Amino acid sequence: MPDAQDAISTLTRIAEDPHAYAESWKRKQQRKVIGTFPMNFPAELVHAAGALPVVVQDDRAPITLGRTLMYEFYCGYARSLTDQAATRKLGVFDAFFLVDHCVALLGAVDAMRFELPEQPVFLAQYTASMDEEWTPPEVRKKVESLQTQLEELCAVTISKEALAHSIRVFNRNRQLLRQVYDLRRSGRTRITSTQMQMLVKSSMVMDIEEHTAILSGLLQSLEKERATNPNLVRLHLSGHFCHGPRPELLDIIESCGAVVVDDDLYTGFRYISTDVPELGDPVDALTRWYFDRNTNVPCATRAQKNVDWESYLLQSLKNSGAAGVVVLMAKFCEPHMLYYPELRKALLRSKVPHLLIETEHEGLPAESIRVRMEAFLEQVRRPAATAAA
Amino acid sequence: MSLTVEQTIPKPATTAGTAALSNRLSSTKDGGKMVKDYWDRIFTARERGAQVVWYNGAALNPIFQAAGIEWCHGEAFGARLAAMHLEGPAQMAGEEYGYINELCSYARTTLGCAVLTQRGAEYEDEGGVVDRDTLAGRLPPPDFFVNAYAGCSTGQQWDEISYRLFKKQLPFFKVSYPLLWGNKPDAGYLRGQEWESASRYVASQLHKLIEFLEVQTGRKFNWELLRESMHYIKRAAELRLEGMALCRARNSPATYWDWIACIAPINFLPGNQALVDYFAGVKNEIEQRLKDGVTALPNERYRLAFDGIMNWNKVGWLANKFAQHDAAVMVGRYTHNSFWHEPQLIDVDDPILGMAQHYLLCPSNHSAKTMGELLLRDCESHGIDGIVFHATRTCRSFTNGQMVMSQMAQRAGIQSMFFEGDVADAAFYKDAILESRLEAMLETIDVRRDQRR
Repeated sequence: MPDAQDAISTLTRIAEDPHAYAESWKRKQQRKVIGTFPMNFPAELVHAAGALPVVVQDDRAPITLGRTLMYEFYCGYARSLTDQAATRKLGVFDAFFLVDHCVALLGAVDAMRFELPEQPVFLAQYTASMDEEWTPPEVRKKVESLQTQLEELCAVTISKEALAHSIRVFNRNRQLLRQVYDLRRSGRTRITSTQMQMLVKSSMVMDIEEHTAILSGLLQSLEKERATNPNLVRLHLSGHFCHGPRPELLDIIESCGAVVVDDDLYTGFRYISTDVPELGDPVDALTRWYFDRNTNVPCATRAQKNVDWESYLLQSLKNSGAAGVVVLMAKFCEPHMLYYPELRKALLRSKVPHLLIETEHEGLPAESIRVRMEAFLEQVRRPAATAAA
Repeated sequence: MSLTVEQTIPKPATTAGTAALSNRLSSTKDGGKMVKDYWDRIFTARERGAQVVWYNGAALNPIFQAAGIEWCHGEAFGARLAAMHLEGPAQMAGEEYGYINELCSYARTTLGCAVLTQRGAEYEDEGGVVDRDTLAGRLPPPDFFVNAYAGCSTGQQWDEISYRLFKKQLPFFKVSYPLLWGNKPDAGYLRGQEWESASRYVASQLHKLIEFLEVQTGRKFNWELLRESMHYIKRAAELRLEGMALCRARNSPATYWDWIACIAPINFLPGNQALVDYFAGVKNEIEQRLKDGVTALPNERYRLAFDGIMNWNKVGWLANKFAQHDAAVMVGRYTHNSFWHEPQLIDVDDPILGMAQHYLLCPSNHSAKTMGELLLRDCESHGIDGIVFHATRTCRSFTNGQMVMSQMAQRAGIQSMFFEGDVADAAFYKDAILESRLEAMLETIDVRRDQRR
């Protein structure tokens, strides 16, 4: 599929160097580039203000000057953010916007603010507890404050029509990415985990309409495929909030005789799981989206009594036919550490084999992970073989 | 069934085997007795037919007191276990359940307690008799949960897990706090539109909490009892601050470690005359020491500030460690900028707004810049030579901003150092690092002093 490969290569190149893309876009458009952070920022608002929303990605460079801003016992993403600030790699951004409340992320962004005093950093902290009747109006106020701040920053007025248009544009992009996921689950196409990550990551950093155009072409190619991999173990990748697992790790997982058919990674299905309602007031819709996302794909960074990540995960496994789960945990990720035992309990109860792999910003013990993966895949295959016998 | 086998952990010897050098206040021992009595009362709540709330975060105890229920503060119990070197069984239970040791050790410890309590409750339901010989397993099962954690997402999320550990069957109320970030030019400590609107937002949630408690208890909330409780707490807080102010004297009659010993009483004991008497006693002892020329250290050469949450496993150890080096730790974010430390905000006739504001003033609920400004203010008022940052391995809320604060201190010409430890997991404490870095910082302070002469 030469067309598909071309499209994937283009998107991979951009995903791997988002700042170069943003600089080029800024030069051509003469408009602002806004850095945003995981996991719930409504990029539509930035788009409607005429600026480029870019989810700030982690950087592969080892942490150096960032050590003067943040301890080593923070997740790789938080440390990378502060390191990029300290090493002056974030100059393309005209401002940063944040709505989340993870303690490590807030610490990192606050340190960035100290290090980069000329670049405004705006926090509209969404209430993380979703259950209370007073939470939606409070979140709505935050959406409105984001809009006001963006209007001031970009010297524009965001009309309802413009915002509604941006919502439709982003929904279209998410829908296309979800079609890729559907093809993957069905086995009709073989998109590797690294490729999938690049498709999603590029959507986080690119002009969304340009991304949609490339993605549409890619989908036409993918839909012609008839790839099947009957002998490979079907796996679900779970976890890894905020930043993507390293491609080398994903390659190891798949090179051991597995095919990844689904995930709930932030740089994966979690990011594109939910559309913003297109009817009604667009600010209401962006508020609603925040709650809908957590219902669709529950997130350990939120506090909601009536949804559970593990229930979602078990249902996903049924939908995709995945036979096992690889839990990818960014080391020092507190929300994930808190919820992991609940996932583990549910998976054990349902007799779904799983493997926990902790990841770090620097260093990947490739051979030990390979051995663990091979042993894990044996474990997954054994019950299947026993049942067949 | 014995929940776990009690581990007998010997109390660590004083630093390097020497006699205690830190002349700590004797009046704080009364607080120790009050705290022990409080926990003993919690342990018997079930037998007395009392309702029990498990809560985390802000000092909501006056509200619970007025609602007529028993309150069990999760972090306080975790701190107590660590201070008594009895955290092992709870942490082991947490580890068996699946918690990784890089997770907040307060959360790990109290969730471990929840695992033990839940296991015990299930066993009792099946007709078993639980031998609760382990302190970590003695908490009574809750009737409901309240979470009110400012400045830390983990603090909020761990009660989501407590709720799930008890099979999502218990009522659960959550108070949410915005981080005081400071987007606008008018924002700052106790000022600006952000402060005002956040205060009102939290106050409105406290009213909702009271409605929730009325439903849970089946009784009208006793507002008069809340006013009375807050009257005592306000007076106790004033006495605490007055005592702290007296300690600015050279040489200091009491240090940070004495104020650490006062945290439990001010944080969760009932608001009553006994609390006021306790802090009056502490202040009286300080005044008497000043009259008698009694000092906290035999030879105070350095005055230091301590930033970070406490290392509860090592309180006495650290007090003596610094005393050995003639270093008086004078002030800290955890002691001096926490726990009803702005009592002028409390209107005892209408206390909710002032309470909400104190909850927002959790010492980790500020931007790094505000925390740095407060630290420099305290350094100025206490004549501080250097700052010790406790790099608390599993407490990101308290370590957030520390490196920024350190840079602000350096720009202001104040020496600083970091040492590694943890709030409730002794495994992360690195004594050699503290020793060598402390010596290096004190030497630098000496050199600077010589240069100024």
